[in-house]
Amino acid sequence: MSAPVSETATQALQEDAPVEKPPRGTPWWANQRIGLLLLVVLLGALFGVLRPAFFNQQLVIFPLLRDIAMFTVVGLAQLCVLSIGHMNLAVGRMAAFSMMITGISYDLFHLTLYSGLLVGLVAGTAIGALAGWVIARTGVNSFVVTLALDFLLLGMIPLVYTSLTDNAAFVVKPPGMRELRNYSLADVCVGNVCGSPAVPQLALFAVVAMVVVGWIYSRTRLGRELLMTGSSVRAAELSGIPTARRVITAHAMSGCLAALAGFMLAVSTGSIKATIGEEFMLPSFLGPILGGTLLAGGFVSIWGTLIGTALTSVIRKGLDLLGVGLESLNIYLGLILLVALSTDRVRTLLSDRSVLGGPPLTSPPPPKREGEPR
Amino acid sequence: MTLFQASEIVKVFPGVRALDGVTLSLEAGSVHALLGENGAGKSTLIKVITGLYRPDGGRLLLDGQEVSFGSPHESASAGIGVVHQERNLIPGFTVGENILLQKLPTSRGLIDRSAIRSEASRWLAELELDIDPDQPVTELSVAQAQLVEIAKALSIESRVLLLDEPTASITPNEAALLFRVVQKLKDDGRAVLFVSHKLEEVFQICDTVTVLRDGASVLSGGALSDLTRDQVVDLMVGRVHEALNLPERTVDTSVAPILELRGVGTATGHAEVDLTVRPGEIVGLYGLVGAGRSELAKALLGLDRITAGEVLVRGKAVKIRTVRDALRNHKIGYVTENRKEEGVFLEQSVARNIAVTIWDRLRKPLGYVPAKAETAIVTSYVEQLGIRIASPSQLVGTLSGGNQQKVSLAKWLAAQTEILIIDEPTVGIDVRTKDAFHTLIWDLAANGLAILLITSDLPEMITLADRVVVMRDHRIQGELPNDHNYDHMSQQVIRLIHAEGTTAA
Repeated sequence: MSAPVSETATQALQEDAPVEKPPRGTPWWANQRIGLLLLVVLLGALFGVLRPAFFNQQLVIFPLLRDIAMFTVVGLAQLCVLSIGHMNLAVGRMAAFSMMITGISYDLFHLTLYSGLLVGLVAGTAIGALAGWVIARTGVNSFVVTLALDFLLLGMIPLVYTSLTDNAAFVVKPPGMRELRNYSLADVCVGNVCGSPAVPQLALFAVVAMVVVGWIYSRTRLGRELLMTGSSVRAAELSGIPTARRVITAHAMSGCLAALAGFMLAVSTGSIKATIGEEFMLPSFLGPILGGTLLAGGFVSIWGTLIGTALTSVIRKGLDLLGVGLESLNIYLGLILLVALSTDRVRTLLSDRSVLGGPPLTSPPPPKREGEPR
Repeated sequence: MTLFQASEIVKVFPGVRALDGVTLSLEAGSVHALLGENGAGKSTLIKVITGLYRPDGGRLLLDGQEVSFGSPHESASAGIGVVHQERNLIPGFTVGENILLQKLPTSRGLIDRSAIRSEASRWLAELELDIDPDQPVTELSVAQAQLVEIAKALSIESRVLLLDEPTASITPNEAALLFRVVQKLKDDGRAVLFVSHKLEEVFQICDTVTVLRDGASVLSGGALSDLTRDQVVDLMVGRVHEALNLPERTVDTSVAPILELRGVGTATGHAEVDLTVRPGEIVGLYGLVGAGRSELAKALLGLDRITAGEVLVRGKAVKIRTVRDALRNHKIGYVTENRKEEGVFLEQSVARNIAVTIWDRLRKPLGYVPAKAETAIVTSYVEQLGIRIASPSQLVGTLSGGNQQKVSLAKWLAAQTEILIIDEPTVGIDVRTKDAFHTLIWDLAANGLAILLITSDLPEMITLADRVVVMRDHRIQGELPNDHNYDHMSQQVIRLIHAEGTTAA
């Protein structure tokens, strides 16, 4: 039985107060994603003008896209936990752990390339779920739990490698791994039409990950409940969302994507070793945050993650081609990111002011309208 | 003597004149009421006075001198203290530290703890409050926290004190304490501005009144003694306000209770709680803040452990583990009192806020939620409850309190609950919307919903409830059939609370 609201009550509830209009949507030029995309294009063009070699399909574009694809998946791994307002500091080590399991499955059980990947994904999901379970069970901050897990894996993984392998890497490569590394869309043909040789096949993994994660967050109950949990755990709990289970799910998804990223790295470097994923942690935050995903949870942007990742990768590659040394490269990268993030903030402020005329704001969500009880 | 005056204040936001020539005068040794419906401009005016907004026209005069404040800090230094509607104490700090936050005493660059203690004690003593300055503020009751905020506002030597809905979440007894403090401030020659939706209080403690409507003052500084309650309400709503007239509603007492508690005890400390609610019945649960009413509701929903007795839903003993369990298997919903933190998701859309309870029902294989079905349900509740929004994708944080409360309620109606626990439904909601909520709750019961109504608003309780159950110190103190006669009922309820000659904790 439902409790329909009768006419009388509906009548009583109608107010003659004007509709409470939200502050008008931010104008297009203040859209973070579009701004970033423009920046990527501009920087790409700039690097191309300065060093025409930047547009070399095989030597630059191909590996660049491979990097972007991999770091996008890394970013998505972080995005899953960011969606509930958590962090996963062990994202790289989870990748290493999963690839260790995958390596064992190739080395000892001679699995095929894709069965090994599957085993790795399962291992990643499991270790992520474990992290989530500990967080949900103990209520300890995700930062602390994943940091602890990171240390645990940091010690454990090399031990396993040294006891199972001779030179700290699994040498058995399943058939198809080398091909996957070098194949581009030019090797995928429908009739006579083949893809671009600049796009690596590995990038398809990122596309699949984006589609799946995007679908979950935009179309399913799970995704919505994750976002609600991220917005307010207490309100979520009191609305009947099983928040503990959602925390575990988010971390499991993170672990699974970390494993996928680890696999992509293993394929593109051609070796499965203990150091996989060491460089994942910082980029995992950069992509999503640049792209507009909230650190506090409740809002994610899949496209933004791709564009944010693309921005950092393009900058890195471009500066590298310009012959900037590694140390200076990091300085420039840091500066450019700072500028990118702060111009973004300035843009939001400007658009808020032109829309609202209110005082400057200190936080991104639209301000409450004046005149309301606070 | 006019201590402070805001004269012909204009504040324009794009597309709306929030304040259009508002004049407000505060006299020394007098309590002035600022009334108006939500959106009338009360909060905007307070923000202009405290320097949070810069006025687009008009003047602020303090002691006859024109002043202009660039920030709340400047207005505070000039002697204007404000206690905002929402709590502004810093949780990790002690009472003393919070009171003196604006100018912490230091010695050689370090915090001087003994100075804090003595300074803070002085202000607490001034308000005749028995609170230890070393106590962490998290241990305070809502009312105590409110009074500590007043102490904080006084500590800057303020001569003008603005109180924005200070009684929104406290009980009559606690309010009485607050009013004594206000009286004392008045006797000391300070000017007090009192904003409230509760007209009873306004008539009790205020001397003069300014009424705002649509950003303009329709009455500026009138003496309250010349006005009746109805006249004030008419001024606020701009037309003759009809007293709430609810249709007849009878409860079929032969029907078995849908929710029954037998000798329930909880981990929070409830003991021997007996309670029944029948379909179509509104049972009021009344008590002072801290009596354990919301805690009982939360224990029922599985958020706290039930340690003794049994809970029967539709005649069957049940063990409810989570809110999800309560909703899915027993059709019990809980509209929380803590709207902003527990009731709605401020940074999510209205659509998601309402649909959050129905995704489970709508989902197809793989958890896919069809947008069409979702939108249809959301739209229907937005219309039925008269939620005023531009689109369902509008963020709930941009809505007024009344509309947020409608959203908070809508999700439980959408979930098709049969038992609804409603906790403080009309805190901080203006007169007209409040009446609408009362009509709605009444009407839901008439349609068969079993309602357990928790409220500290005695008139609300007496308007709505069929039976009033009084709780004190986590125990049921007694139960009264409600005859809807305010004078008679309020006496009985208060007497029951203070039965056995003990004072409530």
